[in-house]
Amino acid sequence: MSNQNALEPMQVDMHPEDNDNYEEEQQHVVDNSNLDLEAYANNYSGLARLYRLIFIADHCSSLKVEALKMAIANVMLTYNTALYQSLYRKLVDVTAGSTNILPDVAGGGRVGPDVPPLDQTWIETRNKKAALKLEKLDTDLKNYKSNSIKESIRRGHDDLGDHYLDCGDLNNALKCYSRARDYCTSGKHIVNMCINVIKVSIYLQNWTHVSSYVCKAEQTPDFAEGKDNNNVIFTRLRCAAGIAELACRRYKSAARHFLQASLDHCDFPEILSPNNVAIYGGLCALATYDRNELQKNVILSSSFKLFLELEPQLRDIIFKFHESKYATCLRLLDEIKDNLYLDMYIAPHIHALYSQIRNRALIQYFSPYLSADMRKMAAAFNTSVHNLEDELMHLILEGQIQARIDSHNKILYAKDVDQRSTTFKKSLAMGKQYIRTSHMLILRAAVIKHHIQVRVSRLLSLYVHVQEIIGRVEFLNDEL
Amino acid sequence: MVVVSNLEEFVSHVETYTINGKFIELGEMLNKSYDLLTSELDNLDSLLESFNLENHSMTILAILYVKLSSIRNIAQPIAVFTQLTDFALNADINQLQHVPETFADLFHLYTKTIIEIRKPESGIYTLERAIAKLQEHPSQLTTLHADFCQLCLLSKNFKPALPILNNDITSISKEGGSTFDTKSFLLYYYYGGMIYTAVKNFERALYFYEIVITTPAMTVSHIMLEAYKKYILVSLLINGKIINVPKHTSQVLGRFIRPLSQAYSDLATAYQTSNYEEVRNCIRRYADTLNRDKNMGLAKQVLASLYKRNIHRLTKTFLTLSLNDVTNRAKLDGVEQVESYILDMIESNKIFATINIKDGMVIFHDDPEKYNNPILLEEIEQQIESCVKIDKEIRSMEETVELNPSYIKKVNIAPDEDLGNQKLSANFAV
Repeated sequence: MSNQNALEPMQVDMHPEDNDNYEEEQQHVVDNSNLDLEAYANNYSGLARLYRLIFIADHCSSLKVEALKMAIANVMLTYNTALYQSLYRKLVDVTAGSTNILPDVAGGGRVGPDVPPLDQTWIETRNKKAALKLEKLDTDLKNYKSNSIKESIRRGHDDLGDHYLDCGDLNNALKCYSRARDYCTSGKHIVNMCINVIKVSIYLQNWTHVSSYVCKAEQTPDFAEGKDNNNVIFTRLRCAAGIAELACRRYKSAARHFLQASLDHCDFPEILSPNNVAIYGGLCALATYDRNELQKNVILSSSFKLFLELEPQLRDIIFKFHESKYATCLRLLDEIKDNLYLDMYIAPHIHALYSQIRNRALIQYFSPYLSADMRKMAAAFNTSVHNLEDELMHLILEGQIQARIDSHNKILYAKDVDQRSTTFKKSLAMGKQYIRTSHMLILRAAVIKHHIQVRVSRLLSLYVHVQEIIGRVEFLNDEL
Repeated sequence: MVVVSNLEEFVSHVETYTINGKFIELGEMLNKSYDLLTSELDNLDSLLESFNLENHSMTILAILYVKLSSIRNIAQPIAVFTQLTDFALNADINQLQHVPETFADLFHLYTKTIIEIRKPESGIYTLERAIAKLQEHPSQLTTLHADFCQLCLLSKNFKPALPILNNDITSISKEGGSTFDTKSFLLYYYYGGMIYTAVKNFERALYFYEIVITTPAMTVSHIMLEAYKKYILVSLLINGKIINVPKHTSQVLGRFIRPLSQAYSDLATAYQTSNYEEVRNCIRRYADTLNRDKNMGLAKQVLASLYKRNIHRLTKTFLTLSLNDVTNRAKLDGVEQVESYILDMIESNKIFATINIKDGMVIFHDDPEKYNNPILLEEIEQQIESCVKIDKEIRSMEETVELNPSYIKKVNIAPDEDLGNQKLSANFAV
């Protein structure tokens, strides 16, 4: 992938379909992207490919049409007719929107010139086929059940789940996969069932479900023992757990999960590609790990190094960060930002991760100094002294940097904390707090002992009394 | 003649009971003779003279009660007030402990009366004595506490209230039947909080309001609602945000009281932004509500505290800062204003700084307190002592609970039940 974005960002006017009912601050629309859609899509299979294409279509104006067409081509391989129809409608809207400069001859803003007509017959045959297949699988399952062969029943459930997934009916798929649980005879089956459930739960974005099933799979006895044979599954589980943690904004543990994945066994196209693992893991680690952890777990990690080779830009970023070349690092980060905004799982977290990385860089930059020239520091971070002052102020107030700013000479001084004084201060405050809570405790015990409680019958009299006293006591107004 | 003989009979009954020390019977008799005494209003004074405080406190209590409740018929109310004060001072505790309800009622009535005649300041001393008389020890709460605080508030005389308020309550007296009146409990802490707010002891005020809002509740009490409003304001003054209420707070607070005090929550949100304009707009927007609740003064104090808080934040991050920058960052109006605020804060030891007028710089210093002087050590010593004392108290409370038969019974049953369940499930497993 080429690093240079040769084109100037194109000023594309917002199409009417772009300002749907999205919240603007969350939905970042990328105007232009150098993403190779074809190659990108080939990294994924099944619903993941569809979802990712749709996400790109929603968030990138220049790739919108292409992404939608590709998605439609892909959806026609499945039984998911509902999605086909909705995608088709979107495509029609886009092309109608972009060609509306031309006089609309067809009237009613119908199909644009390069859009194939809606394939009604395909929908019908597909629906029919899907129903037939469903019926067949259903009867099969019934047969298995009457014969009560556990293994067959399990497979029947799995097949049914696969079919539902193919039709895009996620909830039913989840049901079928979960039902297979009762018919699992070996640890392998249980793990398999868990993987299925995890997959569907990720599609459904039900993150608690994902985490709990990852745990379940890991606790399966066979799996825990023969880890060597299960590298593929292990990596899958790590990736799934990582995505779930990422979605829940627990970046540190997300990084930990991703870093445990191994490239040779990274085969999970239904959810993510090895490139994704590199980016998710790398960014999360960069945002949350301290220098030592970064060195030990990321840079020196033989397994994760292979992932980073897939994303040379990110590798450079991490290395530059570690070499304390923050200006380059931050510039590179800005360069890949647009592409990251097109990734459905990391896009919502870009802002948080980037600001954490920046803060971490600031903290690390200052950590060895007793005093630092803020002018040089500002240059190192591509920012003005004034903005830097603001950023530093926030970090100091949050307690992340122990320093004070000499605004007169524009120098940042490390704060020498007098341990003795702080200890005294803290213990005095603690003592006060203890006395306060204890007194309240004693009082509360007395209150409960005497059954003091606000009850309904007293309401009226309370009200009257308060009005009476409030009407007279106005002393607080005299204070100012 | 019949009338006189009735009174004579009354007097002789009182004498017999008193001499034999049958105070319970005496109490019953006194309760029954309310009507009799009411009909003899004119003779009550002479009747009073035939008793002395030392032996006949209960009887005098009854007579005074009758006198006070028919105060409109008495030409000179001052006389009865002096008698009351005298009574509160010298009554015999041993006799009073048989009739604490009547004693409390007498002074409730007294409070009500002097509020009606708009002389609240005249009752403070009397009530203080009455409370002392009623209490078994200084940290016991009585129903008279609330009346006392109300008088102090109405007369804007807060000093006498402070010694009483500073006593942390550890037990509650039993007058007023088996259950203490919730209203008077809430009112005491609400009024107490107001008094502390008025003398700007905000920490303590917050503590008092917190007690009010954490009182167990099944429904909305307006005292609680008002207390919660003031709790928010005082909390903003001290902490700059609403501190979380303890877990044991009644659900009523979140469900009903919080929605009812929307204006105050909005004010807190505005305060969080540290933006002076926003807070001012918020206060302006809710001016009606604040005025109606009589909280405008406090709200203005909150607004003023924002300046200081903003300046205080700067001291944590800057060593030096030009006056202009202070003005910009604390979002104040002018350099002179900033200077006066900083001077004010330096003088009140809120911040440690010097201003260099020549180049318009403010230089912030660290807290010069080095924690090495004897005064501080003594303070620490005292704190430790009180911590140990409280700890002992709690431990003894715990012991009492542990020795409580019904508690022991309850604790002992629980494991048995578990055992039973286990057996049951074991049976099932078999």
